[in-house]
Amino acid sequence: MGSESVKERQRAASPAPGGAGTAVVVPGVTGGWKFSELLAPPEVRARWEKVRTYFFLRESTYDMTNRCNIRCDGCYYYEGDKQFARENDDPEAWRDLMRREKARGITYVVLAGAEPSLVPERLSVCFSEAPLGCIATNGVRRIDPAVGYKIHISVWGNDDTSLRVRKAKGLLGRQIENYAGDPRAVFVYTFTRENIGECAGVLDTLAADDCRVTFNVFSSPVGYTGPLRHDAASLARTRAVMGEMMDRHPGHVLFSPYNAVAHTDARGLHDLYRCAYPRRNPSTALGLGRSFRQYRADLTWDRNAACCVPDTDCDDCRHYAAGSAVVTSRLYRHATDPQTFRAWLDYVDTYLAVWVMGYEKGETLCREMIVPPEPLPERKP
Amino acid sequence: MSERKDIRTLILRIAEIVIEELKLEDITPETFDPDMDLVDELGVDSMDLATVALVLQDEYAVFIDEDDYPNLKTIRLIAEYLQTKLRTG
Repeated sequence: MGSESVKERQRAASPAPGGAGTAVVVPGVTGGWKFSELLAPPEVRARWEKVRTYFFLRESTYDMTNRCNIRCDGCYYYEGDKQFARENDDPEAWRDLMRREKARGITYVVLAGAEPSLVPERLSVCFSEAPLGCIATNGVRRIDPAVGYKIHISVWGNDDTSLRVRKAKGLLGRQIENYAGDPRAVFVYTFTRENIGECAGVLDTLAADDCRVTFNVFSSPVGYTGPLRHDAASLARTRAVMGEMMDRHPGHVLFSPYNAVAHTDARGLHDLYRCAYPRRNPSTALGLGRSFRQYRADLTWDRNAACCVPDTDCDDCRHYAAGSAVVTSRLYRHATDPQTFRAWLDYVDTYLAVWVMGYEKGETLCREMIVPPEPLPERKP
Repeated sequence: MSERKDIRTLILRIAEIVIEELKLEDITPETFDPDMDLVDELGVDSMDLATVALVLQDEYAVFIDEDDYPNLKTIRLIAEYLQTKLRTG
């Protein structure tokens, strides 16, 4: 079934306020819905007003150290050159960096690679200068509660799988012990081709301890051809399990049907939405292409390598962090019909709940797994 | 003369939309410098511009290509862009 017929069906199912006669067809825009009509339902308007207050967020990411306390197959950090950067261990250099970042308009910092919990002083310094942000951690060591960032704890399957893939024994139990009941914590379950069937058991355990979870989809590092890499069948199974988990643990899973669509399509995020990170975006005029930087542990950065998870194979990228920016930035592509716009609002609402302290996810506005917008054409020169 | 008046009307209306959508304070359409760089001087980002573009699209029934956003950096440039679109249909 082609996308046009889907649009027509959606349009027939969701007439414009005041009847179809009020819709104005704008050449070049499918659907023929005015933006004001999409915003007309009170619950949609309320959600739009809620999410748009966060449009000021502008992120950059920072490798905090070269060290890690576990070694995982398919790890992004230990690919490429960044692992060899000489680590800057001067807290005042980090303070100065955060101040300079703030001065150039960065309002959200993502502290990652290799394992940030190993450098607690740097985390404190960053938090004192840049109060909005997130730390990506394996959860083996608890981060000082005074550091009020969101904390994303990576989960790659059950304990047997973690032992095999991450060489870490009893990992889930240690993660839960460190972060159950912590309002900063979001557990990030990464679906690989191998661990799809383990998700239900892991989520039962996490939900029983009242931990919140979101989903990531393994995206191969450049050159990786190992068993974790997804294929069409594993992506389809992943999507099905995501749907089941949203139904089974609605109070603990931070995700939406459209998140599942965006991250399990056979096409990767770049092909679907055209990645806005500098590595794939030559424009420096606006948005991520203008402001995003990915700093290595020596506080240098390289525009040609800058994206949220460097050294990912762009054609295979379905990373949750990438989608949070790339899908969100495509407002225009989703303002085409009521269902697509609602789905986009769900996606943005989910992303904010996962990344912003104190933001609570609302009710899902679009429960269907809709067809994503047609991919964008190539950029104009 | 008439075209100059048209562009002035467009500039005022676009300024009004920008003020309303971006919730700007202490500025009116009349005091809004149409040559102010919205990105460099006002801190407008791609999401803000997308929102403004959607509202303008509603009002003038023209298609504003996402790839054109980087060229719409001032109220005057937006007005001229719209004027061209309205002229050419």
